[in-house]
Amino acid sequence: MCETLLDVRGLCHSFPLGAGRYLRAVDGVSFRIRKGEIFGLVGESGSGKSTVARCVMNILRPQAGSILYRGVDVCDPAQFRANRRMLQTERQIIFQDSSSSLDQRMKVADIIAEPLAVNHIVPPRGSLRAEAAFQLRYVGMDPAYLDRYPPELSGGQRQRVAIARALTMEPSLLVADEPIAALDVSIQAQIINLFRHLQAEHGFTFLFIAHDLAVVRYLCDRVGVLYRGKLVEMAPTKELFDRPLHPYTKALLSAIPIPDPRRERARTRFHFDEAAFDRTGGFVQVSPEHFVLGGKEAEP
Amino acid sequence: MDERFALVGLCPAAEQAAPKGRRPGKRPALAAAFLALMVLGCLLFPLLLTKDPASMDLSNYAREPDGTFWFGTDTMGRDIFAMIWSGGRVSLSIGFLATALSTVIAVAVGAVSGLAPRWLDALIMRLTDILLSIPSLLVIILLQAALGRANIASLSLVIGATGWMSVARVVRTEVRQLRTSEYVAAARCMGGGTFHILRRHLAPNFLASIMFMVVMNVRGAIVAESTLSFMGAGLPLDTVSWGSMLSLAENALTAGAWWIVLIPGLFLVATLLAVTELGEWLRRSANRGQSNL
Repeated sequence: MCETLLDVRGLCHSFPLGAGRYLRAVDGVSFRIRKGEIFGLVGESGSGKSTVARCVMNILRPQAGSILYRGVDVCDPAQFRANRRMLQTERQIIFQDSSSSLDQRMKVADIIAEPLAVNHIVPPRGSLRAEAAFQLRYVGMDPAYLDRYPPELSGGQRQRVAIARALTMEPSLLVADEPIAALDVSIQAQIINLFRHLQAEHGFTFLFIAHDLAVVRYLCDRVGVLYRGKLVEMAPTKELFDRPLHPYTKALLSAIPIPDPRRERARTRFHFDEAAFDRTGGFVQVSPEHFVLGGKEAEP
Repeated sequence: MDERFALVGLCPAAEQAAPKGRRPGKRPALAAAFLALMVLGCLLFPLLLTKDPASMDLSNYAREPDGTFWFGTDTMGRDIFAMIWSGGRVSLSIGFLATALSTVIAVAVGAVSGLAPRWLDALIMRLTDILLSIPSLLVIILLQAALGRANIASLSLVIGATGWMSVARVVRTEVRQLRTSEYVAAARCMGGGTFHILRRHLAPNFLASIMFMVVMNVRGAIVAESTLSFMGAGLPLDTVSWGSMLSLAENALTAGAWWIVLIPGLFLVATLLAVTELGEWLRRSANRGQSNL
Protein backbone atom coordinates (compact mmCIF):
# COMPACT_ATOMS: atom_id res chain seq x y z
CA MET A 1 0.00 0.00 0.00
CA CYS A 2 1.29 3.41 -0.93
CA GLU A 3 2.11 5.97 1.70
CA THR A 4 -0.31 8.86 2.18
CA LEU A 5 1.35 12.23 1.56
CA LEU A 6 -1.55 14.59 2.03
CA ASP A 7 -4.53 13.86 4.22
CA VAL A 8 -7.35 16.39 4.22
CA ARG A 9 -9.94 15.76 6.89
CA GLY A 10 -13.26 17.54 7.19
CA LEU A 11 -12.01 20.79 5.69
CA CYS A 12 -14.41 23.72 6.09
CA HIS A 13 -13.94 27.28 5.00
CA SER A 14 -16.38 30.13 4.57
CA PHE A 15 -15.96 33.70 3.41
CA PRO A 16 -17.71 36.59 5.10
CA LEU A 17 -20.21 38.26 2.79
CA GLY A 18 -20.81 41.12 5.16
CA ALA A 19 -23.91 41.77 7.25
CA GLY A 20 -23.23 38.63 9.25
CA ARG A 21 -23.73 36.33 6.28
CA TYR A 22 -21.19 33.77 5.23
CA LEU A 23 -20.51 31.88 2.05
CA ARG A 24 -19.66 28.26 2.69
CA ALA A 25 -16.97 27.70 0.10
CA VAL A 26 -15.75 24.35 1.36
CA ASP A 27 -17.89 22.19 3.57
CA GLY A 28 -16.43 19.10 5.14
CA VAL A 29 -14.13 17.95 2.37
CA SER A 30 -11.96 14.92 3.08
CA PHE A 31 -9.58 13.14 0.75
CA ARG A 32 -6.17 11.55 0.76
CA ILE A 33 -3.46 11.79 -1.80
CA ARG A 34 -0.88 9.06 -2.00
CA LYS A 35 2.72 9.68 -2.70
CA GLY A 36 3.48 9.97 -6.40
CA GLU A 37 -0.08 10.09 -7.64
CA ILE A 38 -1.90 12.73 -9.66
CA PHE A 39 -5.10 13.62 -7.93
CA GLY A 40 -7.59 15.67 -9.88
CA LEU A 41 -10.14 17.92 -8.25
CA VAL A 42 -12.94 18.94 -10.59
CA GLY A 43 -16.04 21.00 -10.22
CA GLU A 44 -17.80 24.00 -11.69
CA SER A 45 -16.87 27.59 -10.98
CA GLY A 46 -17.44 28.46 -7.36
CA SER A 47 -17.46 24.88 -6.17
CA GLY A 48 -14.56 25.54 -3.79
CA LYS A 49 -11.70 23.98 -5.73
CA SER A 50 -9.35 26.92 -5.38
CA THR A 51 -10.26 27.37 -1.73
CA VAL A 52 -9.16 23.79 -1.06
CA ALA A 53 -5.86 24.48 -2.86
CA ARG A 54 -5.31 27.67 -0.91
CA CYS A 55 -6.02 25.95 2.40
CA VAL A 56 -3.59 23.17 1.50
CA MET A 57 -0.93 25.80 0.77
CA ASN A 58 -1.62 27.77 3.99
CA ILE A 59 -2.71 30.82 2.04
CA LEU A 60 -6.11 30.59 3.69
CA ARG A 61 -6.80 29.33 7.17
CA PRO A 62 -9.65 26.84 7.30
CA GLN A 63 -12.30 27.28 9.99
CA ALA A 64 -12.50 23.59 10.70
CA GLY A 65 -10.84 20.35 9.76
CA SER A 66 -7.22 19.46 9.46
CA ILE A 67 -4.73 19.07 6.66
CA LEU A 68 -1.95 16.62 7.36
CA TYR A 69 1.11 16.75 5.20
CA ARG A 70 3.51 13.94 6.06
CA GLY A 71 1.61 13.69 9.33
CA VAL A 72 2.16 17.38 10.16
CA ASP A 73 -1.00 19.39 10.68
CA VAL A 74 -0.28 22.45 8.55
CA CYS A 75 -3.25 24.35 9.99
CA ASP A 76 -1.87 24.17 13.50
CA PRO A 77 0.37 27.23 14.02
CA ALA A 78 2.72 25.47 16.42
CA GLN A 79 3.22 22.46 14.15
CA PHE A 80 3.54 24.75 11.15
CA ARG A 81 6.27 26.79 12.81
CA ALA A 82 8.16 23.70 13.87
CA ASN A 83 8.15 22.35 10.31
CA ARG A 84 8.11 25.64 8.45
CA ARG A 85 11.13 25.03 6.31
CA MET A 86 10.10 21.53 5.29
CA LEU A 87 6.59 22.70 4.45
CA GLN A 88 7.73 25.72 2.51
CA THR A 89 10.29 23.93 0.44
CA GLU A 90 8.41 20.71 -0.27
CA ARG A 91 5.05 22.16 -1.25
CA GLN A 92 4.76 24.45 -4.24
CA ILE A 93 1.83 26.00 -6.02
CA ILE A 94 1.07 27.06 -9.57
CA PHE A 95 -1.69 29.59 -10.00
CA GLN A 96 -4.25 29.94 -12.72
CA ASP A 97 -3.37 33.35 -14.01
CA SER A 98 0.32 33.66 -14.72
CA SER A 99 0.03 37.36 -15.45
CA SER A 100 -0.76 37.99 -11.79
CA SER A 101 1.26 35.20 -10.20
CA LEU A 102 4.54 36.52 -11.61
CA ASP A 103 5.92 39.84 -10.47
CA GLN A 104 5.97 42.07 -13.54
CA ARG A 105 9.04 43.91 -12.41
CA MET A 106 11.24 40.87 -11.95
CA LYS A 107 13.24 39.24 -14.68
CA VAL A 108 12.48 35.63 -15.55
CA ALA A 109 15.84 34.57 -14.10
CA ASP A 110 15.04 36.21 -10.75
CA ILE A 111 11.52 34.81 -10.69
CA ILE A 112 12.69 31.24 -11.20
CA ALA A 113 15.51 31.53 -8.68
CA GLU A 114 13.39 33.32 -6.08
CA PRO A 115 12.52 30.22 -3.99
CA LEU A 116 16.20 29.32 -3.79
CA ALA A 117 17.18 32.85 -2.83
CA VAL A 118 14.44 33.08 -0.20
CA ASN A 119 15.44 29.83 1.43
CA HIS A 120 19.19 30.53 1.10
CA ILE A 121 19.72 27.27 -0.71
CA VAL A 122 23.05 26.86 -2.44
CA PRO A 123 22.09 26.32 -6.08
CA PRO A 124 23.08 22.81 -7.19
CA ARG A 125 24.23 24.08 -10.58
CA GLY A 126 26.65 26.73 -9.43
CA SER A 127 24.84 30.03 -9.65
CA LEU A 128 21.24 31.05 -9.30
CA ARG A 129 21.27 32.10 -12.92
CA ALA A 130 22.59 28.73 -14.11
CA GLU A 131 19.87 27.08 -12.07
CA ALA A 132 17.22 29.32 -13.62
CA ALA A 133 18.58 28.56 -17.10
CA PHE A 134 18.43 24.84 -16.40
CA GLN A 135 14.86 24.97 -15.13
CA LEU A 136 13.79 27.13 -18.03
CA ARG A 137 15.19 24.65 -20.51
CA TYR A 138 13.56 21.91 -18.52
CA VAL A 139 10.10 23.35 -19.07
CA GLY A 140 10.81 23.78 -22.75
CA MET A 141 11.94 27.36 -23.05
CA ASP A 142 15.08 28.87 -24.44
CA PRO A 143 17.45 30.35 -21.80
CA ALA A 144 17.49 33.50 -23.94
CA TYR A 145 14.29 34.41 -22.10
CA LEU A 146 16.13 34.76 -18.80
CA ASP A 147 16.43 38.53 -19.07
CA ARG A 148 12.88 39.14 -20.21
CA TYR A 149 10.09 40.47 -18.04
CA PRO A 150 6.76 38.62 -17.76
CA PRO A 151 4.77 41.17 -19.79
CA GLU A 152 7.06 40.40 -22.71
CA LEU A 153 6.10 36.72 -22.74
CA SER A 154 3.03 34.96 -24.06
CA GLY A 155 0.55 33.30 -21.73
CA GLY A 156 1.93 29.82 -22.34
CA GLN A 157 5.48 31.00 -21.78
CA ARG A 158 4.53 32.73 -18.54
CA GLN A 159 2.84 29.59 -17.27
CA ARG A 160 6.02 27.66 -18.10
CA VAL A 161 7.99 30.18 -16.07
CA ALA A 162 5.58 29.68 -13.16
CA ILE A 163 6.05 25.91 -13.48
CA ALA A 164 9.83 26.33 -13.56
CA ARG A 165 9.67 28.45 -10.41
CA ALA A 166 7.72 25.71 -8.64
CA LEU A 167 10.13 23.04 -9.84
CA THR A 168 13.35 24.73 -8.67
CA MET A 169 12.56 23.53 -5.17
CA GLU A 170 12.15 19.93 -6.38
CA PRO A 171 8.80 19.80 -4.58
CA SER A 172 7.26 16.65 -3.19
CA LEU A 173 3.76 18.09 -3.52
CA LEU A 174 2.81 20.31 -6.40
CA VAL A 175 -0.56 22.04 -6.22
CA ALA A 176 -1.79 23.42 -9.51
CA ASP A 177 -4.83 25.65 -9.26
CA GLU A 178 -6.40 25.53 -12.72
CA PRO A 179 -3.02 26.00 -14.37
CA ILE A 180 -4.39 25.76 -17.90
CA ALA A 181 -7.71 27.52 -17.62
CA ALA A 182 -6.27 30.84 -18.79
CA LEU A 183 -4.55 29.35 -21.85
CA ASP A 184 -5.89 28.59 -25.28
CA VAL A 185 -6.43 24.99 -26.32
CA SER A 186 -3.23 24.29 -28.27
CA ILE A 187 -1.12 25.70 -25.42
CA GLN A 188 -3.20 23.73 -22.91
CA ALA A 189 -2.18 20.53 -24.67
CA GLN A 190 1.48 21.52 -24.51
CA ILE A 191 1.30 22.34 -20.82
CA ILE A 192 -0.60 19.14 -20.00
CA ASN A 193 2.01 17.08 -21.83
CA LEU A 194 4.68 19.01 -19.99
CA PHE A 195 3.03 18.15 -16.66
CA ARG A 196 2.88 14.48 -17.60
CA HIS A 197 6.47 14.48 -18.64
CA LEU A 198 7.67 16.34 -15.54
CA GLN A 199 5.65 14.17 -13.21
CA ALA A 200 7.10 11.03 -14.77
CA GLU A 201 10.58 12.49 -14.42
CA HIS A 202 10.33 13.96 -10.92
CA GLY A 203 7.73 11.70 -9.41
CA PHE A 204 6.19 14.53 -7.39
CA THR A 205 2.71 14.17 -5.98
CA PHE A 206 0.34 16.35 -7.86
CA LEU A 207 -2.93 17.96 -6.81
CA PHE A 208 -4.38 19.10 -10.10
CA ILE A 209 -7.40 21.36 -10.05
CA ALA A 210 -9.41 21.82 -13.20
CA HIS A 211 -12.88 22.17 -14.59
CA ASP A 212 -12.00 20.53 -17.88
CA LEU A 213 -12.94 16.86 -17.55
CA ALA A 214 -11.16 15.71 -20.69
CA VAL A 215 -7.88 17.03 -19.28
CA VAL A 216 -8.49 15.37 -15.95
CA ARG A 217 -9.24 12.09 -17.64
CA TYR A 218 -6.00 12.29 -19.58
CA LEU A 219 -3.77 13.35 -16.71
CA CYS A 220 -5.05 12.12 -13.37
CA ASP A 221 -4.89 8.83 -11.55
CA ARG A 222 -7.78 9.58 -9.23
CA VAL A 223 -10.46 12.22 -9.36
CA GLY A 224 -12.60 13.95 -6.77
CA VAL A 225 -15.71 15.84 -7.82
CA LEU A 226 -16.61 18.96 -5.85
CA TYR A 227 -20.05 20.52 -5.90
CA ARG A 228 -20.98 23.54 -3.81
CA GLY A 229 -18.19 22.89 -1.36
CA LYS A 230 -18.99 19.22 -0.95
CA LEU A 231 -17.00 16.34 -2.31
CA VAL A 232 -19.73 14.33 -4.04
CA GLU A 233 -17.72 11.51 -5.55
CA MET A 234 -14.17 10.24 -5.53
CA ALA A 235 -12.82 7.33 -7.57
CA PRO A 236 -9.95 6.27 -9.80
CA THR A 237 -10.26 8.10 -13.12
CA LYS A 238 -11.30 5.13 -15.20
CA GLU A 239 -13.84 3.98 -12.65
CA LEU A 240 -15.33 7.46 -12.33
CA PHE A 241 -15.70 7.97 -16.07
CA ASP A 242 -17.06 4.43 -16.66
CA ARG A 243 -19.36 4.18 -13.71
CA PRO A 244 -20.36 7.58 -12.29
CA LEU A 245 -22.77 7.15 -9.40
CA HIS A 246 -23.69 10.55 -8.03
CA PRO A 247 -26.28 12.39 -10.15
CA TYR A 248 -24.09 15.49 -10.26
CA THR A 249 -21.15 13.50 -11.59
CA LYS A 250 -23.41 11.94 -14.19
CA ALA A 251 -24.62 15.36 -15.26
CA LEU A 252 -21.05 16.69 -15.36
CA LEU A 253 -19.79 13.77 -17.45
CA SER A 254 -22.71 13.93 -19.83
CA ALA A 255 -21.86 17.55 -20.51
CA ILE A 256 -18.49 16.70 -22.08
CA PRO A 257 -18.72 17.55 -25.77
CA ILE A 258 -17.89 14.73 -28.18
CA PRO A 259 -15.71 15.68 -31.16
CA ASP A 260 -17.98 13.88 -33.61
CA PRO A 261 -21.02 15.85 -34.79
CA ARG A 262 -23.31 12.85 -35.25
CA ARG A 263 -22.55 11.36 -31.89
CA GLU A 264 -22.55 14.83 -30.34
CA ARG A 265 -26.12 15.43 -31.58
CA ALA A 266 -27.22 12.02 -30.37
CA ARG A 267 -25.66 12.62 -26.94
CA THR A 268 -28.19 12.66 -24.15
CA ARG A 269 -27.57 15.27 -21.51
CA PHE A 270 -28.21 14.21 -17.97
CA HIS A 271 -29.78 17.03 -16.01
CA PHE A 272 -29.01 17.55 -12.39
CA ASP A 273 -31.68 19.12 -10.25
CA GLU A 274 -29.85 21.58 -8.01
CA ALA A 275 -32.73 21.80 -5.58
CA ALA A 276 -32.60 18.08 -5.03
CA PHE A 277 -28.96 18.20 -3.93
CA ASP A 278 -28.74 16.57 -0.57
CA ARG A 279 -25.68 17.86 1.31
CA THR A 280 -26.39 16.01 4.51
CA GLY A 281 -25.55 12.45 3.53
CA GLY A 282 -22.33 10.78 4.50
CA PHE A 283 -19.56 9.56 2.26
CA VAL A 284 -20.25 5.95 1.32
CA GLN A 285 -17.72 3.48 0.06
CA VAL A 286 -19.18 1.51 -2.84
CA SER A 287 -16.04 -0.30 -3.90
CA PRO A 288 -12.53 -0.29 -2.42
CA GLU A 289 -11.58 2.90 -4.21
CA HIS A 290 -14.92 4.43 -5.02
CA PHE A 291 -16.68 6.82 -2.65
CA VAL A 292 -19.91 8.69 -3.18
CA LEU A 293 -21.89 11.20 -1.17
CA GLY A 294 -25.22 9.97 0.13
CA GLY A 295 -26.21 6.34 0.25
CA LYS A 296 -29.04 5.91 -2.19
CA GLU A 297 -27.12 6.90 -5.33
CA ALA A 298 -24.75 4.03 -4.73
CA GLU A 299 -27.19 1.72 -6.49
CA PRO A 300 -26.24 1.67 -10.15
CA MET B 1 15.78 14.63 -24.06
CA ASP B 2 15.35 17.01 -26.97
CA GLU B 3 12.74 15.13 -28.96
CA ARG B 4 10.62 14.86 -25.86
CA PHE B 5 10.75 18.57 -25.49
CA ALA B 6 9.76 18.89 -29.11
CA LEU B 7 6.52 17.33 -27.97
CA VAL B 8 5.96 20.02 -25.44
CA GLY B 9 7.08 22.73 -27.80
CA LEU B 10 10.51 24.19 -27.27
CA CYS B 11 10.46 27.53 -28.97
CA PRO B 12 13.54 29.68 -29.49
CA ALA B 13 13.40 33.22 -28.27
CA ALA B 14 12.71 35.31 -31.32
CA GLU B 15 15.17 38.13 -30.95
CA GLN B 16 13.87 41.09 -32.85
CA ALA B 17 15.75 44.21 -33.63
CA ALA B 18 14.25 47.05 -31.69
CA PRO B 19 12.01 48.92 -34.06
CA LYS B 20 12.87 52.54 -34.59
CA GLY B 21 11.18 55.00 -32.31
CA ARG B 22 10.33 52.21 -29.88
CA ARG B 23 10.32 54.45 -26.87
CA PRO B 24 7.13 56.40 -26.69
CA GLY B 25 7.90 59.94 -25.65
CA LYS B 26 11.45 61.11 -25.98
CA ARG B 27 13.72 61.55 -23.06
CA PRO B 28 13.72 65.00 -21.49
CA ALA B 29 17.28 65.71 -22.58
CA LEU B 30 16.94 69.48 -22.29
CA ALA B 31 15.45 69.34 -18.80
CA ALA B 32 18.04 66.83 -17.59
CA ALA B 33 20.89 68.86 -19.06
CA PHE B 34 19.58 72.06 -17.46
CA LEU B 35 19.17 70.42 -14.07
CA ALA B 36 22.63 68.87 -14.28
CA LEU B 37 24.03 72.29 -15.17
CA MET B 38 22.24 73.87 -12.21
CA VAL B 39 23.42 71.24 -9.77
CA LEU B 40 26.99 71.32 -11.07
CA GLY B 41 26.98 75.10 -11.16
CA CYS B 42 25.72 75.34 -7.62
CA LEU B 43 28.30 72.84 -6.41
CA LEU B 44 31.28 74.32 -8.22
CA PHE B 45 30.62 78.02 -8.74
CA PRO B 46 30.91 79.15 -5.15
CA LEU B 47 34.47 77.80 -5.25
CA LEU B 48 35.33 79.76 -8.36
CA LEU B 49 33.58 83.02 -7.63
CA THR B 50 35.71 85.97 -6.71
CA LYS B 51 32.86 87.98 -5.25
CA ASP B 52 31.30 87.02 -1.96
CA PRO B 53 27.54 86.70 -2.51
CA ALA B 54 26.84 87.93 1.01
CA SER B 55 29.09 90.98 0.98
CA MET B 56 27.17 94.21 0.65
CA ASP B 57 28.79 96.83 -1.49
CA LEU B 58 26.68 99.87 -0.77
CA SER B 59 28.46 102.00 -3.31
CA ASN B 60 27.16 99.67 -6.02
CA TYR B 61 23.56 99.06 -4.96
CA ALA B 62 20.83 98.27 -7.50
CA ARG B 63 23.23 98.38 -10.44
CA GLU B 64 21.98 97.26 -13.81
CA PRO B 65 23.67 94.20 -15.35
CA ASP B 66 27.01 95.23 -16.89
CA GLY B 67 30.51 93.87 -17.41
CA THR B 68 31.45 93.78 -13.73
CA PHE B 69 28.10 92.64 -12.32
CA TRP B 70 26.77 90.23 -14.96
CA PHE B 71 23.32 90.04 -13.48
CA GLY B 72 23.50 93.38 -11.70
CA THR B 73 23.32 93.98 -7.95
CA ASP B 74 20.42 94.07 -5.58
CA THR B 75 19.23 96.91 -3.37
CA MET B 76 21.83 95.97 -0.76
CA GLY B 77 24.67 95.95 -3.24
CA ARG B 78 25.13 92.20 -3.47
CA ASP B 79 26.21 90.63 -6.74
CA ILE B 80 23.23 88.75 -8.17
CA PHE B 81 25.35 86.43 -10.32
CA ALA B 82 27.16 85.14 -7.23
CA MET B 83 23.90 84.99 -5.29
CA ILE B 84 22.19 82.86 -7.95
CA TRP B 85 24.70 80.07 -7.54
CA SER B 86 25.16 80.14 -3.81
CA GLY B 87 21.41 80.69 -3.37
CA GLY B 88 20.70 77.81 -5.74
CA ARG B 89 22.82 75.65 -3.51
CA VAL B 90 20.57 76.44 -0.59
CA SER B 91 17.32 76.10 -2.54
CA LEU B 92 18.26 72.84 -4.24
CA SER B 93 19.65 71.24 -1.11
CA ILE B 94 16.48 72.10 0.77
CA GLY B 95 14.51 70.62 -2.12
CA PHE B 96 16.43 67.37 -2.10
CA LEU B 97 16.85 67.02 1.67
CA ALA B 98 13.21 67.73 2.40
CA THR B 99 12.10 65.31 -0.30
CA ALA B 100 14.42 62.58 0.92
CA LEU B 101 13.05 62.98 4.42
CA SER B 102 9.42 63.07 3.35
CA THR B 103 9.88 60.04 1.09
CA VAL B 104 11.44 57.99 3.90
CA ILE B 105 8.59 58.90 6.25
CA ALA B 106 6.00 58.27 3.54
CA VAL B 107 7.33 54.83 2.61
CA ALA B 108 7.62 53.80 6.26
CA VAL B 109 4.16 55.01 7.23
CA GLY B 110 2.57 53.76 4.02
CA ALA B 111 4.15 50.31 4.21
CA VAL B 112 3.24 49.86 7.87
CA SER B 113 -0.30 50.99 7.23
CA GLY B 114 -0.62 48.83 4.14
CA LEU B 115 0.58 45.70 5.89
CA ALA B 116 -1.16 46.37 9.20
CA PRO B 117 -4.46 44.85 10.28
CA ARG B 118 -7.55 46.79 9.33
CA TRP B 119 -8.00 48.75 12.58
CA LEU B 120 -4.39 49.95 12.70
CA ASP B 121 -4.54 50.84 9.03
CA ALA B 122 -7.68 52.88 9.62
CA LEU B 123 -6.09 54.63 12.59
CA ILE B 124 -2.92 55.56 10.71
CA MET B 125 -4.82 56.72 7.66
CA ARG B 126 -7.26 58.89 9.64
CA LEU B 127 -4.31 60.52 11.40
CA THR B 128 -2.74 61.11 8.00
CA ASP B 129 -6.01 62.61 6.78
CA ILE B 130 -6.06 64.98 9.73
CA LEU B 131 -2.51 66.09 9.03
CA LEU B 132 -3.35 66.44 5.37
CA SER B 133 -6.32 68.66 6.09
CA ILE B 134 -4.22 71.26 7.90
CA PRO B 135 -2.72 73.77 5.47
CA SER B 136 0.91 72.75 5.37
CA LEU B 137 2.23 76.32 5.22
CA LEU B 138 0.59 76.98 8.57
CA VAL B 139 2.23 73.92 10.10
CA ILE B 140 5.57 74.81 8.58
CA ILE B 141 5.48 78.32 10.05
CA LEU B 142 4.38 76.95 13.41
CA LEU B 143 7.07 74.29 13.52
CA GLN B 144 9.70 76.72 12.30
CA ALA B 145 8.71 79.16 15.04
CA ALA B 146 9.08 76.39 17.60
CA LEU B 147 12.48 75.39 16.22
CA GLY B 148 13.79 78.91 16.40
CA ARG B 149 16.15 80.50 13.90
CA ALA B 150 15.86 78.85 10.51
CA ASN B 151 18.78 77.26 8.74
CA ILE B 152 18.98 74.78 5.86
CA ALA B 153 18.67 71.71 8.08
CA SER B 154 15.76 72.93 10.15
CA LEU B 155 13.88 74.20 7.12
CA SER B 156 14.37 70.87 5.30
CA LEU B 157 13.19 69.06 8.40
CA VAL B 158 10.08 71.17 8.70
CA ILE B 159 9.20 71.01 5.00
CA GLY B 160 9.97 67.29 4.83
CA ALA B 161 7.98 66.50 7.95
CA THR B 162 4.89 68.16 6.52
CA GLY B 163 5.09 66.85 2.97
CA TRP B 164 4.83 63.07 3.30
CA MET B 165 1.10 62.54 3.71
CA SER B 166 -0.09 62.25 0.14
CA VAL B 167 2.80 59.98 -0.86
CA ALA B 168 2.14 57.80 2.20
CA ARG B 169 -1.47 57.37 1.12
CA VAL B 170 -0.40 56.24 -2.32
CA VAL B 171 2.15 53.80 -0.85
CA ARG B 172 -0.47 52.43 1.52
CA THR B 173 -3.03 51.93 -1.24
CA GLU B 174 -0.49 50.25 -3.49
CA VAL B 175 0.79 47.97 -0.73
CA ARG B 176 -2.74 47.01 0.25
CA GLN B 177 -3.59 46.15 -3.30
CA LEU B 178 -0.31 44.38 -4.06
CA ARG B 179 -0.23 42.27 -0.94
CA THR B 180 -3.27 40.31 -2.06
CA SER B 181 -1.77 39.60 -5.47
CA GLU B 182 -0.86 36.08 -6.34
CA TYR B 183 2.84 36.65 -6.65
CA VAL B 184 2.92 37.79 -3.06
CA ALA B 185 0.95 34.67 -2.10
CA ALA B 186 3.44 32.62 -4.08
CA ALA B 187 6.37 34.33 -2.33
CA ARG B 188 4.77 33.59 1.03
CA CYS B 189 4.31 29.95 0.04
CA MET B 190 7.98 29.63 -0.77
CA GLY B 191 8.84 31.02 2.62
CA GLY B 192 9.46 34.70 1.92
CA GLY B 193 9.13 36.83 5.04
CA THR B 194 7.46 40.22 5.23
CA PHE B 195 10.73 42.02 4.69
CA HIS B 196 11.59 39.95 1.62
CA ILE B 197 8.16 40.63 0.13
CA LEU B 198 8.42 44.32 0.91
CA ARG B 199 11.83 44.65 -0.65
CA ARG B 200 11.53 42.38 -3.68
CA HIS B 201 7.87 42.66 -4.62
CA LEU B 202 6.16 45.63 -3.03
CA ALA B 203 8.85 48.29 -3.17
CA PRO B 204 9.69 47.93 -6.89
CA ASN B 205 6.00 48.13 -7.70
CA PHE B 206 5.00 51.07 -5.55
CA LEU B 207 8.20 53.04 -6.17
CA ALA B 208 7.18 53.38 -9.79
CA SER B 209 3.89 54.91 -8.85
CA ILE B 210 5.26 57.36 -6.30
CA MET B 211 8.26 58.38 -8.42
CA PHE B 212 6.32 61.17 -10.04
CA MET B 213 5.02 62.43 -6.71
CA VAL B 214 8.48 62.32 -5.18
CA VAL B 215 9.92 64.40 -7.99
CA MET B 216 7.03 66.79 -7.63
CA ASN B 217 7.85 67.01 -3.94
CA VAL B 218 11.29 68.36 -4.85
CA ARG B 219 9.48 71.10 -6.68
CA GLY B 220 7.09 71.61 -3.80
CA ALA B 221 9.91 71.90 -1.29
CA ILE B 222 11.75 74.50 -3.38
CA VAL B 223 8.54 76.47 -3.74
CA ALA B 224 7.83 76.17 -0.01
CA GLU B 225 11.30 77.47 0.83
CA SER B 226 10.89 80.35 -1.60
CA THR B 227 7.46 81.18 -0.25
CA LEU B 228 8.66 81.14 3.33
CA SER B 229 11.70 83.23 2.58
CA PHE B 230 9.64 85.64 0.50
CA MET B 231 7.28 86.07 3.44
CA GLY B 232 10.24 86.56 5.72
CA ALA B 233 9.40 83.45 7.74
CA GLY B 234 12.08 81.31 6.20
CA LEU B 235 15.79 81.78 5.93
CA PRO B 236 17.15 85.08 7.26
CA LEU B 237 17.99 87.74 4.73
CA ASP B 238 21.73 87.22 5.06
CA THR B 239 21.43 83.54 4.07
CA VAL B 240 21.11 83.81 0.35
CA SER B 241 18.55 81.57 -1.36
CA TRP B 242 16.36 82.03 -4.40
CA GLY B 243 13.43 82.66 -2.13
CA SER B 244 15.18 85.22 0.02
CA MET B 245 16.40 86.94 -3.12
CA LEU B 246 12.82 87.26 -4.25
CA SER B 247 11.86 88.69 -0.89
CA LEU B 248 13.47 91.92 -2.04
CA ALA B 249 11.05 92.01 -4.93
CA GLU B 250 8.77 94.77 -3.66
CA ASN B 251 11.64 97.13 -3.02
CA ALA B 252 13.08 96.26 -6.38
CA LEU B 253 9.87 96.93 -8.25
CA THR B 254 9.42 100.31 -6.66
CA ALA B 255 13.02 101.09 -7.52
CA GLY B 256 12.40 99.94 -11.12
CA ALA B 257 15.17 97.35 -10.91
CA TRP B 258 13.67 94.49 -12.98
CA TRP B 259 16.79 92.34 -12.81
CA ILE B 260 16.52 91.81 -9.07
CA VAL B 261 13.17 90.08 -9.51
CA LEU B 262 13.40 88.70 -12.99
CA ILE B 263 16.74 86.91 -12.86
CA PRO B 264 16.29 84.82 -9.70
CA GLY B 265 12.64 84.27 -10.71
CA LEU B 266 13.72 83.01 -14.12
CA PHE B 267 16.16 80.54 -12.59
CA LEU B 268 13.53 79.34 -10.14
CA VAL B 269 10.86 78.88 -12.80
CA ALA B 270 13.27 77.16 -15.22
CA THR B 271 14.41 74.74 -12.53
CA LEU B 272 10.86 73.93 -11.54
CA LEU B 273 9.93 73.36 -15.17
CA ALA B 274 12.89 71.03 -15.63
CA VAL B 275 11.94 69.05 -12.51
CA THR B 276 8.35 68.79 -13.71
CA GLU B 277 9.46 67.61 -17.12
CA LEU B 278 11.64 64.96 -15.52
CA GLY B 279 8.76 63.82 -13.33
CA GLU B 280 6.44 63.56 -16.31
CA TRP B 281 8.96 61.42 -18.13
CA LEU B 282 9.40 59.17 -15.10
CA ARG B 283 5.67 58.66 -14.91
CA ARG B 284 5.43 57.78 -18.58
CA SER B 285 8.30 55.33 -18.41
CA ALA B 286 6.96 53.70 -15.23
CA ASN B 287 3.70 52.85 -16.95
CA ARG B 288 5.34 51.62 -20.11
CA GLY B 289 6.33 48.07 -19.16
CA GLN B 290 2.84 47.06 -18.16
CA SER B 291 0.99 48.34 -21.17
CA ASN B 292 1.86 45.28 -23.26
CA LEU B 293 -0.88 43.15 -21.78
